[in-house]
Amino acid sequence: MNVIELQNVTKSFGDFRAVDDLSLAVPEGCVYGFIGPNGSGKTTTLRMIMRIYHPDPGAGSIRVLGEDDYGAAHDRIGYLPEERGLYKKMKVREILAFYAELKGVRNTKAAADEWLERMGLSDWADKKVETLSKGMSQKIQFISAVIAKPDLVILDEPFSGLDPVNLNVLRDAVLDLRRQGTSIIFSTHDMGVAEQMCDYVFMIFQGRKVLDGTLADIKDQYASDTIRVKIDGDNGKLGNLGGVESVMDFGQLQELRVKPETDTQELLAALMQRGRVEHFELARPSLHDIFVRIAGPEARVAIEESVKQEALHA
Amino acid sequence: MRKVLVIAVREFQASVRTKAFIITLVAMPVMMGGSIAVQLLLKDKEDISSRGIAIIDQTGELHGAIETAANKRNTEDIFAKAEERNGVQIKGAQIKPAFEIKTLDPPADAVDELKFELSEQIRNKELFAFAIIEPSVIDGAGQLYYYSNSPTYRALPTWLRTTVNDTVREIRFDREGIDPSVVAKASEEVRRQDRDLVTKDASGAIVEGRTTNRAASFAIPFGLMMLMFMVVMVGASPLVNSVLEEKMQRIAEVLLGSVPPFQLMLGKLIGTVGVSLTISTVYLAGAYAAVAYAGYASLFPTHLLWWFLLYQCLAVFMFGSLFIAVGAACSDMKESQSMLMPVMLVVVSPMFVWMAVLKAPSATFAVIVSLIPPATPTLMLMRQSIPPGVPTWQPLLGVVLVALTTLLFVFVAGRIFRVGMLMQGKGAKFGEMLRWALRG
Repeated sequence: MNVIELQNVTKSFGDFRAVDDLSLAVPEGCVYGFIGPNGSGKTTTLRMIMRIYHPDPGAGSIRVLGEDDYGAAHDRIGYLPEERGLYKKMKVREILAFYAELKGVRNTKAAADEWLERMGLSDWADKKVETLSKGMSQKIQFISAVIAKPDLVILDEPFSGLDPVNLNVLRDAVLDLRRQGTSIIFSTHDMGVAEQMCDYVFMIFQGRKVLDGTLADIKDQYASDTIRVKIDGDNGKLGNLGGVESVMDFGQLQELRVKPETDTQELLAALMQRGRVEHFELARPSLHDIFVRIAGPEARVAIEESVKQEALHA
Repeated sequence: MRKVLVIAVREFQASVRTKAFIITLVAMPVMMGGSIAVQLLLKDKEDISSRGIAIIDQTGELHGAIETAANKRNTEDIFAKAEERNGVQIKGAQIKPAFEIKTLDPPADAVDELKFELSEQIRNKELFAFAIIEPSVIDGAGQLYYYSNSPTYRALPTWLRTTVNDTVREIRFDREGIDPSVVAKASEEVRRQDRDLVTKDASGAIVEGRTTNRAASFAIPFGLMMLMFMVVMVGASPLVNSVLEEKMQRIAEVLLGSVPPFQLMLGKLIGTVGVSLTISTVYLAGAYAAVAYAGYASLFPTHLLWWFLLYQCLAVFMFGSLFIAVGAACSDMKESQSMLMPVMLVVVSPMFVWMAVLKAPSATFAVIVSLIPPATPTLMLMRQSIPPGVPTWQPLLGVVLVALTTLLFVFVAGRIFRVGMLMQGKGAKFGEMLRWALRG
């Protein structure tokens, strides 16, 4: 079963299209990573899943935990918003109890104390929120998202601004939830975290979906077109080899991007004509590389060009 | 509905458990009582330095009597009542200034120069005032002129006028050959006593009306109106800040992830009704205790208690939803201050007309203004508290109108709230708010 199904969802603010014809299916019990540059529509998408925002009228449908409409599903979803929202004057245990009660939890104290202990914050239970450090209040915010034992947890940038120790604590907590069968979606700017933790990665850029799949799928998709070589001999003018689109020169190593369906054996043969091949690697790009390739300056220029072309034709 | 209650309880606790709430609760009556106390205190703290006045008596007949009257006043009337302690008479302290009369002979000519000269003395603070009594005053034609540069000080001119009039009257009686004691007896005033209407008791016996308590018949309507006003101000206006906090601290997003916006707003309003009921309970109980202690428990308007509470709940909902809309539409405190102005005007508008309503509670004007929804909780309640009260249809219609207005306000505020809560960066313009309200 899919815990989230978005079909052709569009959301505009005035003339600005924040999310454009987006479809997404999140299977039960997995960790789903949302990546994408700032302002590309991640938070808007998450808010739509939370039903804080609604898609444009008639523009797509959203099913969460198998339900189309409001109501009960709310209580089974935990949410950590991008910017932390805690009442400063309330005590830590009180605010956890408040958020838990809003999700329908009856005996809140035991759950709150258990989580505080686990996060190493037991001593702070009766302190006011305003006395907490940034990392601590982030952990409190995390607890308030998961204290009601939701089936689906949505975390908007849960790891930003955490020191490595706290990051580990929070990551372990997230993975623990997954082991217990909770479905988790989180957005992040940290590609390393996304690679380590996510079963699926989803990338959104300028409101549109540009990547969606398991990490292996995505890497396969981008793997066959990058070849790292080192040759002892003439390493200039590699770009005029058959099938090579572009060359990135790292000094000791050259990275060739080749056209799809290029026969790498032929390329190797051609290289061997040039000199001794010391290194030949079919490279699997990191998520970081893929991200930059999609949303980097080059890609932006290309998109602007195509928009201009469209405008000319229109 | 359970979520609404969770929100309401938190809202209530967040308001009531603050130091500011307790301070306000105590400070309001202290400030009101305090201003009365300060005035009472300052009443005896008059500037008691002597006031010198030059008198130019052109009749030639009055200055003697004026001097005598001044001397009598300066030796007897300007002191507090003498006290007897351990059998010894202790003279009271001086509480009023002495008036020092300096009689000047009216000059044959150059009156203007003398007047200028005296004015200069006043400007140099050698003299406080001067007066000219025209020669024809005894015949009823001339006037008494009082010159000073302290027009707000009234005790001296008032005393002078009374003294001159008393003296002139005596002279006139004398001229007509009338004995002043006869006049005094003949002009003895008839006293009036105000009474309530006569009723019949259970046994059918006629019960004489009680002496009308004029202080109570004024204080009760005024007190009820002020209390209603205070409860709305103290109870409901913090909603602006509460909503702003949730918006600025991004708590709204967490809340809206758990509760639909309308339920969130409803919870806040119910919590606020709880706060305002707390305030009114404290004050009403305090007022009842004070009145009962003074022996006037029967004057306490217990029959209006339920009306008061009904109006109060409606008023908190009505104005509270406006305050919530303002909070949701603004992005910071400063902005909310200017946005609050029009709302505050609506809340205080009954204050502009309450006097007229108190004087003529059954007049068409009073009936109409007390049926205008924002004014109904204060002015209708006030009219109900003034005997003989109002026909029952009026408060009933008032409540219906207020309830309808409240529904409208809550509906509109709910829409503004829903959009405004997640808007960051800039506040909404009025046009935008209108659009949210209309389109949703």
